[in-house]
Amino acid sequence: MFSEQATPTAQGLLAPPSAEASTFARVPVSAYADCSQPFRLGERSFSRQYAHIYAARLIEMRPILEERARQKWGNGVALRKLCELRAGEKCCVVGTLFKAMQLQPSILQEISEEHNLVPQPPLPKYIHPSDELILEDELQRIKLEGAVEVQRLVTGTIFAVYGSEQDDGKFLVEDHCFADLPRPLPWKGPSSDRFVLLVSGLGLGSGSGESLLSTQLLVDVVTGQLGAEGEQSCAAQISRVILAGNLLSQNTQSRDTINKAKYLTKKTQAASVEAVKMLDEILLQLCTSVPVDVMPGEFDPTNYTLPQQPLHHCMLPLASAYSTLQLVTNPYQADVDGIRFLGTSGQNVSDIFKYSSMDDYLEILEWTLLAGHISPTAPDTLGCYPFYKSDPFILTDCPHVYFCGNAPHFQSKLLKGEDGQQVLLVAVPAFSTTQTACLVNLRDLSCQPISFSGFGAEDDD
Amino acid sequence: MEDELYLENIDEFVTDQNRIVTYKWLSYTLGVHVNQAKQMLYDYVERKRKENSGAQLHVTYLVAGNLIQNGHVCHKVAVVREDKLEATKSKLATIASVHVYSIQKALLKDSGPLYNTDYDIVKTNLHNCSKFSAIHCVAAVPRTSAEVSQVQTSVQAGSQTPSDTNAVSVPVVNGHGPSTAKQTAQQPKGIMGMFAAKMASKPQDTNKETKAEAKEAPGVSTVSTKPPAKGNIMNNFFGKAAMNKLKVNSVPEQPKEEKEVVKPSVPVAEPESSPNTVVEKPGKKTESARIQQKDKKSKMKRVDKSDNEEERDPENLKKKRKRIKQLQSDSSDEEEVLPSPMPEEEKAPSPPPVPTLKTELQPASTEVSAGGRKRKRKRVLKSKMFIDEEEGCM
Repeated sequence: MFSEQATPTAQGLLAPPSAEASTFARVPVSAYADCSQPFRLGERSFSRQYAHIYAARLIEMRPILEERARQKWGNGVALRKLCELRAGEKCCVVGTLFKAMQLQPSILQEISEEHNLVPQPPLPKYIHPSDELILEDELQRIKLEGAVEVQRLVTGTIFAVYGSEQDDGKFLVEDHCFADLPRPLPWKGPSSDRFVLLVSGLGLGSGSGESLLSTQLLVDVVTGQLGAEGEQSCAAQISRVILAGNLLSQNTQSRDTINKAKYLTKKTQAASVEAVKMLDEILLQLCTSVPVDVMPGEFDPTNYTLPQQPLHHCMLPLASAYSTLQLVTNPYQADVDGIRFLGTSGQNVSDIFKYSSMDDYLEILEWTLLAGHISPTAPDTLGCYPFYKSDPFILTDCPHVYFCGNAPHFQSKLLKGEDGQQVLLVAVPAFSTTQTACLVNLRDLSCQPISFSGFGAEDDD
Repeated sequence: MEDELYLENIDEFVTDQNRIVTYKWLSYTLGVHVNQAKQMLYDYVERKRKENSGAQLHVTYLVAGNLIQNGHVCHKVAVVREDKLEATKSKLATIASVHVYSIQKALLKDSGPLYNTDYDIVKTNLHNCSKFSAIHCVAAVPRTSAEVSQVQTSVQAGSQTPSDTNAVSVPVVNGHGPSTAKQTAQQPKGIMGMFAAKMASKPQDTNKETKAEAKEAPGVSTVSTKPPAKGNIMNNFFGKAAMNKLKVNSVPEQPKEEKEVVKPSVPVAEPESSPNTVVEKPGKKTESARIQQKDKKSKMKRVDKSDNEEERDPENLKKKRKRIKQLQSDSSDEEEVLPSPMPEEEKAPSPPPVPTLKTELQPASTEVSAGGRKRKRKRVLKSKMFIDEEEGCM
């Protein structure tokens, strides 16, 4: 665990100055490879329809699911397409799930003059008891009923159902299966303690200074200024810091200026300008001491649709002078010291949260891993680039650390797969609300939260 | 001797200057390792309290350690006041570090001032913020300028090359790269139109800008004959329509555009006699084309602001009048009137087309005689309204 060996010298600095102050060398970067090439977009064209993504998704995942189906229901199971279904025959069908939701916000309903509907206010969850599941494949669609949890599943998932078609045209499901964990990656982890710090939701520019001291304490711990000597030597073992999105606060997104008259807002500056300057200074302090990967999030100045492209280096002039700063995409995939990291800034998980009955961020994270797709709800309810030939969100290799940012609180779990996969699932909490970050130990895939606090007017800390 | 020195220093900071002395602040101020600073603070507190137990001295400590919470072993790092120190220590299962965080005369209600102190001192020392820290990272070296330019070009080139299978056969360009060339090619046409329209427009605003900058002798004689054109270019840059266009484009495109626009502006010229002050502008423009993006941005902001000071307050007009006077001293009549309607014009939402402008200005200029300031002002207003109406018709 982090800083357990620091205990003996904990009170060492409560003493008169010693002649020599020890400095520790940061653990060197032994092996780093950025694997998020599929998430980088070059020339972008928005002239295509989104149907191509679903087609690509189904084509790519069909073989995996057929294999799983055979493993689960025997080699002799009949794999049928929807057009080949015969009433009463037990078979397995692979297709894309569509959930018809009554409460799902639909722009067509909103602007329809016939209905005269008041636009629906945003709800935390859009599930409704009357939701229905429909399975679609390349040519047809069919309603599902039976042993399938309607509330839990979301649109866009590719899965296989086993059952039979009924006389009324609906498919009665007896069992279903997902793509399950992808194939494992070989283990090349370090033999000694090495830490990676995962932080998300710094929320700069929020106008409230509550978490500013905590942010400063975080930077000081990582750069080795805070703490006694033992703790500093442990901090020197932090080999990387990953900032998982929402570096800016939601408050910087206020669009009041759009509604106001131009002459009132001419000299106002966007709130994000100050926030980005603050971010630049914080990143500079970090970059002079540790390699940093910066992922954009929901409120950061980059494109809205997934995959979000890296922040532009011109916004961070001070920090981007250092080669330790890496501006990366969201989602982000990399090999750090032989361990495969894969994670997002949390938009995929929070979107599934809205359209499913699952409440726990860690549970949703695990479910996306088992479903074999980082973000099944894209492009239906989550903005996504109209991919054409491939869907880069399909999981092909099993990562060692799978994280999502901006969770409401810290959660982590070590998942073990049948083929020897070991995945550390981490729900990184939003720092602006929880003042907590995560330290992942690469040697044994353990995770520890680290939280910071100052003292306030009220006596309780 | 040295030992005594730091004690005196801390004493001065705390009691005389009434500062909040954090370990980090002390480390930067005295130029010592952070751990030494922490020890110095501790030493000072101990000695001061031994000498004078009633000394007005409040201390905050940093406590860090492990704590079992929700089944995890959480590592907690907290800044606490002295009176809460023991309580916090007892809550932790294992203590990883305890040291003095800050010393101050007054009792702190909350930790906000601690943050402010650290923020200020770090801000003034950003270039060597890891100098006194306990961890040194070998990999953290600033990029060489060659690497920086490589990164910049790779960002643009990377967006050109189809990085994944999503390359469209019909390149509908929407990102950087070829689009840059396209847009910059298209933009000059649009901006060229504006230049032609506003030949002698608004040297005032650019003059403001150039005056704000250092005054240097312009070395560009070929360009000197077209000072208003250059002025117009920058003005047209900072005209609203142009500003909107430029804002839409990504930043790396801006220097390209500006460079390209500066070049086409050269052929678009009304040869006019050039006063020195106006000649400054083209020199400035070519220089500014070379200046980095940041400066460009700040300049644009500045001029935008000056552009936006379009309220017809007498001060503004006075400034404009001054410039007109200077121009007048060296240039022809035409020139002196052309600037004045221009600022008014730019207040109009869109730049008026070329021919209407010229025709309007011609009558306006002919009207000008060596009159007083007020007369000029009136004429300015008139021509503006004239243009506006014309625009309305158009």
